[in-house]
Amino acid sequence: MIDVKKLHKSFGSLKVLQGIDLHVNKGDVVSIIGPSGSGKSTLLRSINLLETATAGEIWVDGKLITQPDMRLHPGENAQVIIKAHYQDPYSLRRRVGMVFQHFNLFPHKTVLENMIYAPMTVKKESREVAVERAKELLESVGMLDKIDVYPATLSGGQKQRVAIARALAMEPDVMLFDEPTSALDPEMVKEVLDVIKKLANSGMTMLLVTHEMGFAREVSDRICFLDEGVLIEDAPPEIFFSTPKSDRAKAFLEKVL
Amino acid sequence: MQLDFSILIKYLPDFGAALMVTLEVTVCSLLLGLLFSIPLSLFKISSIKPLEWFASFYTSIFRGVPLMVQVFMMYFGVPLVLPVKFTAFTAGVLVFSMNSAAYISESMRGGIKAIDKGQYEAAMALGVRYGAMMKDIILPQAIKSVMPSLVNEFISLLKNTTLIASIGLVDILRVGQLIQSRTYRAFEPFFAIAVFYYILVMALSFLGKLLERWVNKSDRR
Ligand SMILES: Nc1ncnc2c1ncn2[C@@H]1O[C@H](COP(=O)(O)OP(=O)(O)OP(=O)(O)O)[C@@H](O)[C@H]1O
Ligand SMILES: [Mg+2]
Repeated sequence: MIDVKKLHKSFGSLKVLQGIDLHVNKGDVVSIIGPSGSGKSTLLRSINLLETATAGEIWVDGKLITQPDMRLHPGENAQVIIKAHYQDPYSLRRRVGMVFQHFNLFPHKTVLENMIYAPMTVKKESREVAVERAKELLESVGMLDKIDVYPATLSGGQKQRVAIARALAMEPDVMLFDEPTSALDPEMVKEVLDVIKKLANSGMTMLLVTHEMGFAREVSDRICFLDEGVLIEDAPPEIFFSTPKSDRAKAFLEKVL
Repeated sequence: MQLDFSILIKYLPDFGAALMVTLEVTVCSLLLGLLFSIPLSLFKISSIKPLEWFASFYTSIFRGVPLMVQVFMMYFGVPLVLPVKFTAFTAGVLVFSMNSAAYISESMRGGIKAIDKGQYEAAMALGVRYGAMMKDIILPQAIKSVMPSLVNEFISLLKNTTLIASIGLVDILRVGQLIQSRTYRAFEPFFAIAVFYYILVMALSFLGKLLERWVNKSDRR
């Protein structure tokens, strides 16, 4: 589903990602953990093209979404590759949903308007169809009773549940979560994690950046440990949490567990 | 000298007609100004340098040249070099709306800059294109922070429109001058005009407050 190949990203002289290789199968839930500043958000944002890779490639569902990196295709022609595989950012983003740490609901739109805006504008759905799905999704995240309020009236946990439903309203094939519970008061973390867990169990392909180690262990098929822009471990949770291979991962786990 | 406001009574219809002219010029200029200010503010935040230069050059012209000079330029000057001929009304509205656009676009730029980066990212992540994102997500939020300066602009426009009397349009000020020349009385007509403008401006400020409350309805908890 997602194929990240030798991905590099620099901001000026700051090398944030240094050759990431990551493969996510359809239906997999992969958690990315690591110290602050290690490049987790940058990796996730690159997959949604909110950041432009410096080198390397990203493939989503068999489509190339970055420029081809010709070092990965010796002897081939860039134009041929683009013609055969490239997909533009707009088409990509319709299929990849993203949930942000700070929710980013549209404050001037009601919950319902937040939900139906992109389906109607981007997918050209009729209002009836969009409203119908919005109601189903709001029901499934337990927010149907708030359908007509403005985001300012919601708690953080409620905002995040709406934000998840809003991303799902585009019917994405993949969901990206960037620390979805980090901005929440502790008592609201669980209601959001429950929604994410439900989604994981429904077979959604997910990439999740989180500091909730217990949760990552519970829902993930794999844990990826990122440190200084390098993916130094990629293992099933039982193995990663019990017998991490690298000293860096050991030190990190000691701190956070 | 004995004051006699009753001399104004027979000029009331003229005042009425002149009020309409004043309001028409003001409202047309404000609406057009708001319209022009949108591309102008987008130019100002654009990463395309020539657009940015154009917008700030435009703004500096309208800031730097006295309004009266602009009005004379448009009404008397431009028709001499370009194959156009403006009525006083058109020339006035053109100058005032281009002026308003310069001022409004400045506060609009501030309003746009103040919007959280996350709003752009959320829209982009949902696959929304630039045009729709600006129209539906960014500008509606920016307009909110522009509201107070929009009301100010409305008020200063209203007052500045007295300048069009100088190119012959019969606005309220002009009616006052007519009365003065016919009755040889200056205090009564101009006092009445001052009161008139004062009431109009107060009414506008009040309406502006209501409008501000209305656009901010989504912030209420
Ligand atoms: N737009 C940017 N311009 C310059 N530097 C940036 C930019 N975005 C991120 N960085 C830098 O890149 C590095 C990695 O950032 P990133 O946000 O990916 O880390 P992270 O692993 O998500 O950290 P955290 O756990 O704190 O969220 C940091 O040093 C950050 O300062
Ligand atoms: Mg981060």
